[in-house]
Amino acid sequence: MPIAFEKVNYKYAPNTPFAYEALKNVDLAFEMGKITAIIGPTGSGKSTLVQHLNALLLPTEGTVLVLDRTITNKQKPKELKSLRQKVGLVFQFPEYQLFEETILKDVMFGPLNFKVPEDQARVLALNALKWVGLDESYAEKSPLDISGGQKRRVAIAGILAINPDVLVLDEPTAGLDPQGSKAMMELFVRLNKENGKTILIVTHDMEHVINYCDNVVVMREGEVINHQRVIDYFERKTQVEDIHMNLPQLLSFKEALLEGGFQFKKPIRTLEDLANAIAAEIKP
Amino acid sequence: MNNIALGRYLPLNTFTHKLDPRYKIMGMLFLMACVFIPAGFTGYGVIGAFVLLALLLTKISIKMILKSMKPMIFMLSFLFVINALVIRTGFVVFSLYGFTLYQDAVIQTLYIMTRLTLMIIITTLLTVSTKPMDLTLGIEDLLSPFKRIGLPSHEIAMMISIALRFIPTLIDETNRIMKAQASRGVDLKEGSFKEKIMAILSLIVPLFVSSFQRAEELADAMEARGYVVAQHRTRYKQLKPTYRDALMMGGVLILMGGVIWLSM
Repeated sequence: MPIAFEKVNYKYAPNTPFAYEALKNVDLAFEMGKITAIIGPTGSGKSTLVQHLNALLLPTEGTVLVLDRTITNKQKPKELKSLRQKVGLVFQFPEYQLFEETILKDVMFGPLNFKVPEDQARVLALNALKWVGLDESYAEKSPLDISGGQKRRVAIAGILAINPDVLVLDEPTAGLDPQGSKAMMELFVRLNKENGKTILIVTHDMEHVINYCDNVVVMREGEVINHQRVIDYFERKTQVEDIHMNLPQLLSFKEALLEGGFQFKKPIRTLEDLANAIAAEIKP
Repeated sequence: MNNIALGRYLPLNTFTHKLDPRYKIMGMLFLMACVFIPAGFTGYGVIGAFVLLALLLTKISIKMILKSMKPMIFMLSFLFVINALVIRTGFVVFSLYGFTLYQDAVIQTLYIMTRLTLMIIITTLLTVSTKPMDLTLGIEDLLSPFKRIGLPSHEIAMMISIALRFIPTLIDETNRIMKAQASRGVDLKEGSFKEKIMAILSLIVPLFVSSFQRAEELADAMEARGYVVAQHRTRYKQLKPTYRDALMMGGVLILMGGVIWLSM
């Protein structure tokens, strides 16, 4: 069951002076069961792209295949609800969507909307909260009284409780401190490894791409200009520089060493590779 | 959310866009006054021609105006029904099953329709061609003579400009929260009454929370930059009338004179 875009165009505010083409002829197929990063400069269409995945936006032209559904611009909203249960979308700064009196109620809100019985929704919600690292003592607190990072976790738990097969996250670590964002990324890796969820992450952080993701989709000005395995993508540093992004620390360090006269025989893909290669070089 | 386009500023570079906002507001007020001068359909024809010219000068398509009039159809038909029932003067247009439609009812409805249409077009002309910030500068200047009787014209303008400034932000925010809740299975169109209440709540509560937060942040940011209420302040953007304003005001005044003459 794939997720694929076929010749998708998307235009904001068509037939007005504000018309803007956000996606241009996008052909793309995501690999299931993997973590895929979507990167690209601001305004390159990343957020527009992910909103097609649960049909919040319908393509102006072309089709989007999501699991067993075909989405075109003739869809009625009524037919889309079941899709949203399969594809969970977490928006940027999702903490703004919290509104219930207690955290538990807020996390249960999603499952209840999808007609899950109340006792079952409660179990799902508590389980989701456990996943994001909030124990039961939080369940009865108000979601407006906790810290920003915790609010983010509650919001993500709100989507996890729906138990979607595909989890789409739009910059889930924006504005979090380094430890918070590391924990967050590790959560996604666990969800992927242990529960086999397909995960798509929009991000600006190349460190996250190299450390946690399997595949990478690169966008620029509404077009997909690259779709590769992460380890292949970082082989050629010009590809990264072309979209005005910084190389991950590991690779910029490697480049600096190469300039300084080091020679590596094996490809460097992880911190361990690099450490071994350096050790091999300096030992006579 | 797509129908908010009515009256939204369009970044073009036309004759109307280049007018001084103060004169534009005054011109609009005079035109509005013209609409209420009882000069019959000849008068409205003259005003209509003038407004049409203004539309051409602002490069707004008639189609866009017609589209924005759609919501009025219901109101006008309601008005027509009321008029048809109440007004019982003039010639009889037709009589059916004891119900008589009089000519004056038709004419009265047509009058009101023309008036409303003209008023909407005139205000749209102003808002489409003037940046909200310029509009408030204009309002501030036009209200400044009333400072002597204690009217805080600057504060009023500041409040208007902040309110205007946050309309697009709030629309974006609403859209964003709606989408986020839709991802959680909220469906504003379907569902039982209770579910609909819940759906609206899930939209309004976050909107309130973030609006209050935003307001507080804005107040802090303004204070941090030394904003004090009721303090005299200079202004970077100076408004200067040009020959265009003279042309426009001249045109409006001649029109007004003409309409008054027609009404006598």
